[in-house]
Amino acid sequence: MRWLILLIIVIGNVGVTPLVNKLFPLVLGIPFLLFWLLLWMVLSPLLTWLIYSLDNRAGRI
Amino acid sequence: MTALAVTGFVVLLVVVLGFWSGRDKQSRSSIEEWSVGGRRFGAFIVWFLVGADIYTAYTFLGLTGYGYNFGVPAFFAVPYVVIAYPIAYFFLPRVWKYAAKYKLTTLSDFVRERFQSRLLSVLVALSGILFLVPYIDLQLSGITGVVQVAGQGVFKNTAAVGTTALVVSFLLVALYTFFSGMRAPAWTAVIKDLLVWIVMFGLVLTIPYIWFGGWGNMIHTAIIKYPKLLTLPGKSPHGSMNSLWFSTAALISALALFMWPHSSTGALSSRSAEALRKNMVFLPFYNLLLFFITWLGVVAFMVLPAHPHDKTFGNFALLHLIHASYPNGVIQGLMYATVALASLVPASIMVLAASNLFATNILKDWLMPSLSDSSVTLIARGFVFVITLIALIFGILFPTSLIGLQLEGASGIVQILPAVFLSLYWRRLSSTAVTIGLVGGIAMVFLNHFTLHLPGYDGFWGLLVNLVLVILLNFAFQGQVEKNLETNKLLKDELV
Repeated sequence: MRWLILLIIVIGNVGVTPLVNKLFPLVLGIPFLLFWLLLWMVLSPLLTWLIYSLDNRAGRI
Repeated sequence: MTALAVTGFVVLLVVVLGFWSGRDKQSRSSIEEWSVGGRRFGAFIVWFLVGADIYTAYTFLGLTGYGYNFGVPAFFAVPYVVIAYPIAYFFLPRVWKYAAKYKLTTLSDFVRERFQSRLLSVLVALSGILFLVPYIDLQLSGITGVVQVAGQGVFKNTAAVGTTALVVSFLLVALYTFFSGMRAPAWTAVIKDLLVWIVMFGLVLTIPYIWFGGWGNMIHTAIIKYPKLLTLPGKSPHGSMNSLWFSTAALISALALFMWPHSSTGALSSRSAEALRKNMVFLPFYNLLLFFITWLGVVAFMVLPAHPHDKTFGNFALLHLIHASYPNGVIQGLMYATVALASLVPASIMVLAASNLFATNILKDWLMPSLSDSSVTLIARGFVFVITLIALIFGILFPTSLIGLQLEGASGIVQILPAVFLSLYWRRLSSTAVTIGLVGGIAMVFLNHFTLHLPGYDGFWGLLVNLVLVILLNFAFQGQVEKNLETNKLLKDELV
């Protein structure tokens, strides 16, 4: 599970670049590529925190 | 002149703090005390220390320079730092546990114990030193850049003044690193990062209003006037910074981040594995800054007059932007000081790490095994001056495009990944296969850089060759693996 989350983080950040390399649609007025990077900048630490809490629950410290 | 005086004052203050942090004699009593602060730093200091490793002249000048020269390809740094922490979460705390148990202070130490191979350990140390020198050189430019921009119209010959300031400030840093060891960058990093946060928020809140009347209008202007800058490959030469380059540059840089001797040494100074785990969750707060700093490079391109004949203008785009945006000398000075400190504080950790590698892993482990522990400590401390001088000589003789140096360095240093990361999860990994992989990977990086020119990032192709070699050759050396499994105390631990 923890490795799967890591894989999701990596793919979200750098695995789909050709698909999100667009100016439009603008989201919140921001070009799409920059918005995508901003989005994963917020999501990734949350997912890392999820791995951290999963590990804590499993007693894997 | 006010700006320069303020900058000088802040830098001197931090130098004094650097000496003060080593007032206790214990800080230089052994290699473990000097190089990793006796492994006593809690989560809070580690947060600043590792943050200091990342927010360097590379961020402030290199990335904004990229933004200025190429546009959005500079944003590869955002996914780079974003994925660096979750990846490090998986291996750093584990390496830390071995390091704490067996009193290891470098990744090269860890490799020596894990594989019982002096050859591999020495190669890892040599790669560390070799690729760190260009990174230190990148830091030098922070000082010369500040003097060049802040000294406009103040000095007749800003280049000469810049070189003098560079030599003086780096020798001061070398001196306090010699004296205080890791405690100096740890405490100076707190001041530096507080300034970084204040200055960055200041820039982010005011720059859009000064030039565009607001955030919305700034982004709108960029979209209308410079749409080409906002998608890959931006205006990179021959469109080389395409999606493939962007993804591989981010991935390789992320994998390389904690392979760097200075980042790993910073991490090993942590008090506990738990402090490190927490940091990998909370360090990403820094990333927000990175996003906006990189954007300021694009802003500098939009608002500053073009300098088509000055090839190094981009390297100092942020400094020129500050100069053009704020007429107040004190504000300018504080901002320049931030950039100067972002060069000096990380440089101190870097020379410390490189010196430690040389004394511990090259001299003591290989060339002069009879050295006593106290001589190793003294040599490591003295070597701070040698590394600083080498970096100064290279930096003054061959000033080239900033970020390119660091990028090649990341491509090289990431080749030790199988030795450090794979070795934690793959018990039947043989040292010979990893050694050949490391050499092959580094050869591929240079080959691709100079002759092959495959698209994407050099380090990516290097790591690919490296991993293929490791996987193919590992079967041939299983006898060696058996022997290592039988005799290695580290592999018998429950830690893996």
